[in-house]
Amino acid sequence: MPRITFSVNSKSHTIDAAGDMPLLWVLRDLLGLKGTKYGCGMGVCGACTVLEGQTAVRSCQIALADAAGKTYTTIEGLSARGDHPCQRAWIDEDVSQCGYCQGGMILTAAALLARKQQPSDAEIDEAMSNSVCRCGTYNRMRRAIHRAAKGARA
Amino acid sequence: MPRRGDAAAVSFEPNAYIRIEANGAVTLWITRSEMGQGVRTNLAATLADELDVDLSRVTLQQAMPGSRFTGIRLRTSGSGSSSATFLALRRAAAAAREMLVAAAASRWSVSPGSCHSELGRVTHRASGRDLSYGELVEAAGAQPVPQKPQLKSPAEWRYIAKPIRRIDARQIAMGAAVYGLDARPANALVAVIQRCPHLDGKLRRFDATRIPGVSHVVPVTSGIFPGVAVVADTTWTAMKGCDALTVEWERGPQSSFDSTRHMEALLAATAQDGYPIRCDGDVPASLALAETHLEAVYEYPFQAHAPVEPMNCAADVKPDRCEVWASTQAPETAYQNAIQKLGLPADAVQVNTTLSGGGFGRRLFVDYVDEAVELSQAIGKPVQVVWRREDDMRNGFFHPASVEKLSAALGGGKIAAWQHKSVGSDLSMFGLPTAEEKRDPQHYAKNEDPWGAYDTPYNFAALQVDYVPVDSPVPTGAWRAVEYPSRVFARESFLDEVAHAFGQDPLQLRIDLLQPGDVLTLGSQKIDRARMIRVLETARAQFAWKQPFAVPGRLAGKGLALNIYDADSYMIQIAEVSSSLTGSDLKIHRILCAFDCGLAINPAGLEGQVESGITWGLSATLHGKIDFRNGVAQQTGYHDFQVMRMNEMPAIETLIVPSDARPGGFGEHPVAPVAPAVANAIFAATGRRLRKLPLSLA
Repeated sequence: MPRITFSVNSKSHTIDAAGDMPLLWVLRDLLGLKGTKYGCGMGVCGACTVLEGQTAVRSCQIALADAAGKTYTTIEGLSARGDHPCQRAWIDEDVSQCGYCQGGMILTAAALLARKQQPSDAEIDEAMSNSVCRCGTYNRMRRAIHRAAKGARA
Repeated sequence: MPRRGDAAAVSFEPNAYIRIEANGAVTLWITRSEMGQGVRTNLAATLADELDVDLSRVTLQQAMPGSRFTGIRLRTSGSGSSSATFLALRRAAAAAREMLVAAAASRWSVSPGSCHSELGRVTHRASGRDLSYGELVEAAGAQPVPQKPQLKSPAEWRYIAKPIRRIDARQIAMGAAVYGLDARPANALVAVIQRCPHLDGKLRRFDATRIPGVSHVVPVTSGIFPGVAVVADTTWTAMKGCDALTVEWERGPQSSFDSTRHMEALLAATAQDGYPIRCDGDVPASLALAETHLEAVYEYPFQAHAPVEPMNCAADVKPDRCEVWASTQAPETAYQNAIQKLGLPADAVQVNTTLSGGGFGRRLFVDYVDEAVELSQAIGKPVQVVWRREDDMRNGFFHPASVEKLSAALGGGKIAAWQHKSVGSDLSMFGLPTAEEKRDPQHYAKNEDPWGAYDTPYNFAALQVDYVPVDSPVPTGAWRAVEYPSRVFARESFLDEVAHAFGQDPLQLRIDLLQPGDVLTLGSQKIDRARMIRVLETARAQFAWKQPFAVPGRLAGKGLALNIYDADSYMIQIAEVSSSLTGSDLKIHRILCAFDCGLAINPAGLEGQVESGITWGLSATLHGKIDFRNGVAQQTGYHDFQVMRMNEMPAIETLIVPSDARPGGFGEHPVAPVAPAVANAIFAATGRRLRKLPLSLA
């Protein structure tokens, strides 16, 4: 088995496991980072979203072997105290219901704001519409993203 | 019943819900499952008000089945988790507060009536003395438990009926909230189960030789579908092992079930008489006198729950005890099943309920818990059973397909008779009726089924409702709003058809049909038509119903539907839609929702549930359906079982009509009116009447 080294939440990890194990299960089963959720394993729902650098990616679609040398951020590492503008906006807009998909949603929004400071509704739709929230918190997420964008500008 | 506190303890636990410690820490046991409906927040706010403590200082624990909660329901169903717990928790908290006040009064040798509680302290204003709850725990425990504690008046509420944001929001936003899938004990193995893909199947044989990394391959029989579990030390190894496993299944006589043929059978069954559900007035005479007849048939497909957290459960079965970790709506069932299966004493079984990544009725059944208990016992090790998305789509249970045939006899500008024949399948997960029950013509009427047809609220001159059950091998059970969606879709669409046939305003027609605003008593239900009329009138004014909806360069229109959920929650929805001039596409611009659900315990939570229920309803209206071919559910994930995404969402506006009625159930209520409101708006916009879900303009 290959030994793969990569960074998660500013910590370097060297993992000795099957090279085809998706990053999702590496994070959850081997590193104990359970904020990254399993929803479909097909890259369709977005619950397992993490940041690779500043880009939102689906950890169920990244094989461990392909993670070598990369830098990842999970929801646990987005901020030390839950005070990333998206996390604050999510709380202020009372977005979450069951909350299961929300870590992935917040990271997707954070990646959007990292490349686009003041996204339009259409840009928010484009970034967020590949993710599933079965509780239907979409309109609140949109408000939270606008709020986070304003907060970041202020 | 509240229990007398233990004077020797350092903490004060006057009843199952509450503990106050000497340092002032307050713990509330949450007796229902949190799955997004906000019950933790609502109950914490209720406790904080009635006990008179700061909400931010309340710590929550999840109740577990067992002796502490004897007589207290832990099952989460029927939209009642907050509303049905509200009064019991207020009484429990008020009793605790009175005991704390009595303890302080006794220490100061003053009358309890001269003392007051205030955010975790008892004060005696006349003498300027005060004590914290923590300082009183021992003395309070020695006080008798008041049988009729004085509840606070609404004017004294700090939290109840005020918008309170989700108590778990921060944990969720930081990825720290613990769901079932996250609750695997550190030493547990992981199992992924290859289940029979088709209905009515049995395990014939499996070949488990040569699966690398896998520790056990074991048949599992306690789920809805039989399966073979592949156990490994990580989820991925178990998943790969499951893919590598070869299993042969035996097909039973029902295993070639086809949902298209089933729909044909449902349509054909509209010709049968069925079971009488309601018969008001003289239907045959009214039919004979009528000038014109309208008739329409509505179709509703099978649906899946598809919560984002797939089913899963961890179990650790030892010879003398068993512990379970599960996101479940039915912890008592899980507990009883484990006790029975393992033959253990009740206090040797512990069921830990975690947060649920969506429930929607799916987690009312504990097949996945039973699987984990069976497997842990079989392999003698702690194990977490993890369902893959495709398992979740195909191997659970379903919302049944149904057909509704509506007919109306019209005469003199009035509805002379209204007939609703509902054709569907009984919810097999709840247990099918016995042969004796089936012989009783009143069986379904006694059960007040089917919802939405049985409790038709309108005051028709003559009304007949019948139910025709059609057998199906598909496992079926509760789904958000259960029996309402298909019946309300048909009832409210058809009333719109009648309104257009008369050239009447569909909102005014409903108000007319709810006259004289009396209380309609049906079995256990008392439907207050005046409350429904008040909601309709409020919506008409506040949502500017009479103002046409227009979109430049497009066909546009609005439609409405109402429903009364379980006689205690009264709702109207108005949908605004548009389509291209050729009527080829559909955009839902806005859904307006007004309701009276009695006291709004948490208006912010209700608003969230409106958005949630409407989104759920929209998924079914526009996308959702499960097809069976040769006994196999065809959809395997969110790619082919589409649910609403952000780019399709309409704006949603909520209007709470103030009410001092007791709080009514709510989490499911906004689902059912969505489809008919949208279908009626499509008719207003395009002149096309769509009677089959999912709605399609193609």
